[in-house]
Amino acid sequence: MRPLTPRRVLGICLLLLAVLFAAVVLSLRMGAYPMAVRDIVTTLVNGALGRRERIPSEFWLVVFGLRLPRIALGILVGAALSTSGAGFQALLRNPLADPYVLGVSSGAALGAILSLIVAPLAPGLIQVAAFVGAAATITGVYFLGRRGGHLDSGTLLLAGIISASFLSAVIMFLMTTLSGRDLRGMAFWLMGDLSSTPAVDLRWLYLLLLVGAGSIYTTASDLNLILSGEQEARHLGVNVGRVKIVVYVAASLLTGLAVSLSGAIGYVGLLTPHVMRMLFGTDYRLLIPTSAIGGAIIIVLADLLARTVVAPTELPVGAMTAIAGAPVFIYLMRRSMR
Amino acid sequence: MVPAAALLAGALALLSLARVATAFERPLAASVAQSSAITHVTDEVGRQVSVPAQVNRVVTLSPDLTETIYALGLEDKLAGDTNYCDTPPAAKLKPHIGTAQNPSLEAIVALRPDLILASTSINRRETVDELARLGLAVYATNPHTVRGVLASIENVATVMGAATQGHGLVVGLRARLEALHMRLNDLPLAHVFFVVWQDPLITIGQNTFIADALKWAGAESVIIADQNWPQISFEEVVRVQPDYIVFTSNHSGDTGKLLSELRSRPDWKGLHAVELGHIVNVSDEIARPSAGLVNAIEELAHDLHPEAFSGPGARYAPGLQKSTPEFAVTAVCGEEHAACAR
Repeated sequence: MRPLTPRRVLGICLLLLAVLFAAVVLSLRMGAYPMAVRDIVTTLVNGALGRRERIPSEFWLVVFGLRLPRIALGILVGAALSTSGAGFQALLRNPLADPYVLGVSSGAALGAILSLIVAPLAPGLIQVAAFVGAAATITGVYFLGRRGGHLDSGTLLLAGIISASFLSAVIMFLMTTLSGRDLRGMAFWLMGDLSSTPAVDLRWLYLLLLVGAGSIYTTASDLNLILSGEQEARHLGVNVGRVKIVVYVAASLLTGLAVSLSGAIGYVGLLTPHVMRMLFGTDYRLLIPTSAIGGAIIIVLADLLARTVVAPTELPVGAMTAIAGAPVFIYLMRRSMR
Repeated sequence: MVPAAALLAGALALLSLARVATAFERPLAASVAQSSAITHVTDEVGRQVSVPAQVNRVVTLSPDLTETIYALGLEDKLAGDTNYCDTPPAAKLKPHIGTAQNPSLEAIVALRPDLILASTSINRRETVDELARLGLAVYATNPHTVRGVLASIENVATVMGAATQGHGLVVGLRARLEALHMRLNDLPLAHVFFVVWQDPLITIGQNTFIADALKWAGAESVIIADQNWPQISFEEVVRVQPDYIVFTSNHSGDTGKLLSELRSRPDWKGLHAVELGHIVNVSDEIARPSAGLVNAIEELAHDLHPEAFSGPGARYAPGLQKSTPEFAVTAVCGEEHAACAR
């Protein structure tokens, strides 16, 4: 393994950003509405120059109203999920750890359902409620997972799994009291889907992504040491307790953010860090940025498939990631057993 | 330091993309409609909708609305419908925009509609909200009763600029319902179990238009539930012992086959209704909140209360009225003649 130089980190990130750019271009090009590359470029250029009257209104709607916001949302969600996945995996020193294993998605879904029961027509409330649900679950799991005053990986994982199944049962119970219309929306929501535009300005959400991912990144060197053993890390002067809390809170923020925007999109948070580890090594200083970009690439491509495979009908993107993710997961598992 | 710089650069790139994507969101709504004549209406869920006075291209997001458009004779204006739209068969040939629940917004935009019709009976609120965000006019219907279905047909006709056709159609349907009501008024309600799905067992809740349609057909669902499509235990069916069990014809083949199938199942064969052969297989029009619903109600009434349609008590010739408009036309003509005679 070559030593990690800043130059190498920059190079790899630029490479991945180029791949992401290609995925975005492809995603802009494809869809139920047929548009030539030339038309897309003209629309983008005129849009950037504010010359809207020069573009046919359908081009405008498709590019700026539908495809770009959806791509931007996909990048945000993919980056948030993968970064928090990488964070949770280091924190729990468990390769199976992922935002959803800790019950966060169930908590978010429960919050959403409660908001549907209390105030079904309040705009944007469902997202806020999902975020609150995710945060509350994470807090609960955190206190359940403490043993002897500090976070214990095994206990935390168990607490997460138990909470997830408990919350899922509560959701099933509540869903039987909802009317049919709400149920339909809910089922789709639980699968994970990018077709709804967030009520909050995306710029604020990207800012939250930066804060969350940035906080995890500041602990990257410490995470490397913790991964080789908590005792050793302590002896080397790492404040293990503080690092754990920072990563836990930041990763939870990112998960809550993603779930409240798109529902529970599985496998991305679990698999992206694994793939990035295989490609670029286990150093967290590289793993965190590559996971963020890699997750964005995967979601953009998965959503492209979700929009086009059975067009004009759309699949939930969560179905796409699960179909592609489960075989990849089995492959990785068998490979690592050898 | 440089890795941090790389992260920052990447983050900035992401942020600029977000800006591009969001900066254009607000002006979109302003572009709603450039055409001259706009009418402002409130749809059935209370949304304000700006509809062109002259609608030329309409997209329907649910099969019942497609059927209504054809019933009003406005099919030339139908630019597209869903993959599910098969009534009348000509609707299958229209461009499709996907399924009712996960339509492609792009495919809808591509059809350049000046009005989109949605129904709370099947469409998702998110779909309607997204289309509205794009500045498209979406009118949502929200029928919960048979009268509500008729009102929705009139409302759709009105926003389509065809209020007269709508009124004519609905007057005819109302007359048929009233005639049915006169016949069934004095009869006791049949207690029926309406099967939406057999495995798992799903029936209708009391707030659905189907529950109301049963009442018009002289029947009543034996299950009282607040949810629209409750899944219920078979024990409950055994406990309430319905007079009749109602299936929809898209559910299974002919009634005889269905009955022998039920009699071969240890749980179903114990029900009194199955023993007596009180199985009704009603047209799947019963499940669509459109004009055809009245056909299904009449069909069901004939099956559940044959005595009301035959024998010396019958006021006029029995038989299913399959064609709606003719009835309406006769009624109207009759009035005109009366006026002329005077």
